[in-house]
Amino acid sequence: MLYTSKAGAVGDSQRAANREDVVVCPGLPAAGVHAMSNADLHITSPPWFPVFHPGSPDAWAIQSLSGFVFAVCAVILAIVTGLVVFCLWRFRRPEKREEPPQRFGNVKLEIVWITIPLLLVAVIGIATVFTMKSMAAPASRPPDLIVRGHQWWWEVEYPQPGIVTANEIHLPAGRKWLVELEAADVIHDFWVPELARKMDMIPGLKRRMWLEADQPGVYQGQCAEFCGAQHAWMRFQVVAQSPADFSAWQAGQLQPAAIPSRAEAREGQQLFQQMTCVTCHAIDQSPGALRTAPNLAQLASRYQIAGGALANTPKQLFQWLMDPQKYKPGCKMPDLKLTDAQAHALVAYLEGTP
Amino acid sequence: MNGTAEIAAPVPAVEKESAHEGLLAWVSTVDHKRIGILYLLAAAFFFALGGGEAMLMRLQLSWPNLHVLAPDTYNQLFTMHGTTMIFLVAMPVIFGFANYLVPLMIGARDVAFPRLNAMSFWLLLFGGLLLYFSFAAGGAPDAGWFSYAPLSEQPYSSSNGTDYYVLGLLVTGIGSVAGSINLLVTILKFRAPGLTMRRVPLFVWMVFNTAVLVILAIPVLNAAIVMLLIDRKFSSGFFQPGQGGSPLIWQHFFWTFGHPEVYILALPAFGMISEVIPVFSRKPIFGYEFVAASTVAITVLSFGVWAHHMFAVGLGVLANSFFAGTSLLIAVPTGVKIWNWIATMWQGHLKLTTAMLFAMAFLVEFTIGGLSGVTFAAVPMDWQLTDTYYLVAHLHYVLFGGTIFGIFAALYYWFPKMSGRMLDEHLGRLHFWLTVVGFNLTFLFHHALGIMGMPRRVYTYPDLPGWGILNLVSTIGASIMGVSVLVLARNLLHSLRHGKIAGDNPWEAWTLEWATTSPPPAHNFNKVPPVNGRRPLWDLHHPGRTDEELQKQEGGARDP
Amino acid sequence: MKTVKLGMIFFLVSEAMFFLMLIIAYVALHHASSGSAQAERTLDPAKTAVFTALLLASSFTIWLSERGNAAGKHFLARGWLAMTLLLGGIFLFGQGREYAHMLSSHVTISSSLFATTFFTLTGFHGLHVFVGLLAMSVVLGLHFSPAFTGLRGSALPAVALYWHFVDAVWIAVFSVVYLRVL
Repeated sequence: MLYTSKAGAVGDSQRAANREDVVVCPGLPAAGVHAMSNADLHITSPPWFPVFHPGSPDAWAIQSLSGFVFAVCAVILAIVTGLVVFCLWRFRRPEKREEPPQRFGNVKLEIVWITIPLLLVAVIGIATVFTMKSMAAPASRPPDLIVRGHQWWWEVEYPQPGIVTANEIHLPAGRKWLVELEAADVIHDFWVPELARKMDMIPGLKRRMWLEADQPGVYQGQCAEFCGAQHAWMRFQVVAQSPADFSAWQAGQLQPAAIPSRAEAREGQQLFQQMTCVTCHAIDQSPGALRTAPNLAQLASRYQIAGGALANTPKQLFQWLMDPQKYKPGCKMPDLKLTDAQAHALVAYLEGTP
Repeated sequence: MNGTAEIAAPVPAVEKESAHEGLLAWVSTVDHKRIGILYLLAAAFFFALGGGEAMLMRLQLSWPNLHVLAPDTYNQLFTMHGTTMIFLVAMPVIFGFANYLVPLMIGARDVAFPRLNAMSFWLLLFGGLLLYFSFAAGGAPDAGWFSYAPLSEQPYSSSNGTDYYVLGLLVTGIGSVAGSINLLVTILKFRAPGLTMRRVPLFVWMVFNTAVLVILAIPVLNAAIVMLLIDRKFSSGFFQPGQGGSPLIWQHFFWTFGHPEVYILALPAFGMISEVIPVFSRKPIFGYEFVAASTVAITVLSFGVWAHHMFAVGLGVLANSFFAGTSLLIAVPTGVKIWNWIATMWQGHLKLTTAMLFAMAFLVEFTIGGLSGVTFAAVPMDWQLTDTYYLVAHLHYVLFGGTIFGIFAALYYWFPKMSGRMLDEHLGRLHFWLTVVGFNLTFLFHHALGIMGMPRRVYTYPDLPGWGILNLVSTIGASIMGVSVLVLARNLLHSLRHGKIAGDNPWEAWTLEWATTSPPPAHNFNKVPPVNGRRPLWDLHHPGRTDEELQKQEGGARDP
Repeated sequence: MKTVKLGMIFFLVSEAMFFLMLIIAYVALHHASSGSAQAERTLDPAKTAVFTALLLASSFTIWLSERGNAAGKHFLARGWLAMTLLLGGIFLFGQGREYAHMLSSHVTISSSLFATTFFTLTGFHGLHVFVGLLAMSVVLGLHFSPAFTGLRGSALPAVALYWHFVDAVWIAVFSVVYLRVL
């Protein structure tokens, strides 16, 4: 699901050929990080029905339960609709004056249509409990990943290597990770339909869930609990990678922010320090780095910016910097009143194109 | 009015209902019939507002990335839409019909406390206006109709909108509780001689259960919103984690109210269907005792399911299992009703009036909504489908396909009694088909959109495959619904003046409200017929073949 | 049962739900913030017990008033009703003193969750006591009006029922908050 861009819109993968639109992974320092293309990530077109496109054992478990329950519901609906239509067809007597036989009830029938539904719901209930138990996540052991919901972006922390990033989760395909969910302000909800259940992120509480992807790929996620003005653009990606690619990604994240080689990019770096960007955004993994706003380390490697409102291309990043409120009205990024040149410099710095 | 004995004797006719004329007569009325109509008019007014909000929302959502509405505006609209439809449309319509019909159906002169009844209506109206005043006072509430904390707290909801939400709901809530107390006492104390609780029309029985739910559930809401207001105004921390408070307590409190609330909205519609289907099948309701008993089961169970609105919160396997169990269980008594309504139609002589069409459509639409509810009770499915458009589909199928379709059936059925004139059946059919097509086009594909990953409460969405076209279809459906409402309005207004004269009992129905003129005189009845069973007028017109005798012949079933 | 009394019972059922939720909130939250324990120490259970006893006595006096009224003994009915008013007023006075002491010890509605839940619960109870006093004053006033020919069946019993309810709620609140049974 590589999303290329139109201004303000996230479109279909066919336009990847356009040079301007292809997302490349930087140069932000040029140490062993290579560009990720569609092919590298086995990216396919996004599925029409993510909930019915399970990409993990947990998602499969939900899918199996769903299949059974939907089947039962379909049968019941067919019976009810069929009976109503049958009555409509068979018993219309618009002109008939005499009354039909007056029937008052039948206890045996009542018992039948109480017992059968009771049995059905009992079976559904048992299946439900078993599925739930199979998906339960432990409260005790340390998590592999911590995701913190903010209005309106995702803080993603890898406790062991000590990586903090935003809006994009990388993990090795085929491994089951324990995720801890928190919220910094209001209630959010973590949802990647192809891979896992939803789980609320509640300020003051920690929640645990499993996250796993059978195959490498890019999976769409979004916030699923109304959290204010820009709930709609609190989207994220889960990028499942082969172990080698994942290690490479981790290594790249841990590289300290280097001094860029191009003059425009160096100017952008200076602006980044001067134009109050640093008062909210961290751009490296130093301990104590700010978490007020998305960490911008390795920004160029991400698919989207602004929580999915825009794709991560130089052009769209430029537009975002010039007028964030246009693309995500109400978000906390102020209009910095940049000149074109300033914005281009910042883009050069952040995208790190050599 | 102290007991039931006085009603059996003829009451001297009252010439004029009150000393006042015209508008003042309506504003100062304490007559349950006029108060009932005032409720219906208020509901119609707010329905137009709520519907307008919906149309604007659907316009904004008709294609990806539109900028018809700013996100802030959209969020106020969806909050107001939900709050309006539930508290200012559905509940007033229900109280309107209940107020108008219950005294008539039990052979009473009025409700137990007529002046309290009037106060209840005015509290509803002023509470609603207070809520809407928020638009002019800095912004309407925008945290959703269930206003989760901490989003609804300071500083996240910094406009006064949430304060108006609290105050408006407190005012209407007090009106609802007062109205329900009135109905409960009326039903218990003012039934005509011979009308035991086991013989009351099912609409009356459903209203009784609804009133019980209101007096138990609305105070729970009041407690929660009072605490929210204290948090907002006095900087306390009931629901603020930073001060030791708990956002979850808000959710537990709200849904302890919220789930019974949806049965408050559903049971009266069940009652309306239970009156309409028998009359237009020309048979008594099948399984009266089971329909009545299943109602009690629902009333009781409705207080034990609330956390199914919280399955994604992470309460743990044990809690989730308990609430899954109760939520699956509550489907059974609801199913019992559906089977009994179908059995009522079985081998009847069906008259396909508009009322009957809506009642039959209700059976299918509500079943769809009820079944999608069952899918949520299977907790892992909820973990995918909650807070998506699939849930929006579910709630609209039960609340519109259920409650509103029931209300439309009731409207076509009882409009003649209230106005003395028949609604036009041709316009009625047009309204019916536009509603069915429009409603299903609007909401059917929402099931798919949820499965496609579209969350609810988003002011716009990305151009993902299929999202645009399905949203566009939904918007078209909503426009058709808008047109259908215009047809209904035309029918109502035209028939009030020019409809065919109805007479006392145009449908040849059997309950007491049809034993008086249309509309009834101020004192309701010149003489209440004798009551020896559930269908007094059937018994009156079929001496020797009364319900009691027929049931004896059928064998087994005792008329109590 | 009389119509008005039945109506009052249903009203009290709704009020019971309201107080139940405030009590639940108190029980769940009163120790949830720092500063709660300290704030709780500003309570004076002994003094409040005295005022509680007076409030409970007022239930007895309103019962006596009802008996007098039913027997047509208007002097007794009015006297005991006035006594009930007095006792209820003293209770509110005692509550006010406790509030004043707490506020002067910097225990305010926002200072801790103990204070928040305490003031909310007892505040709404106090409000209900006050409304009860108003209702009793109205009934007492009717007793003195020249057109008065004897209270018809329902008004005093209904108000009395309300008053008993308010006292019962206070027993629950006193037990939970001051005696810490939960």
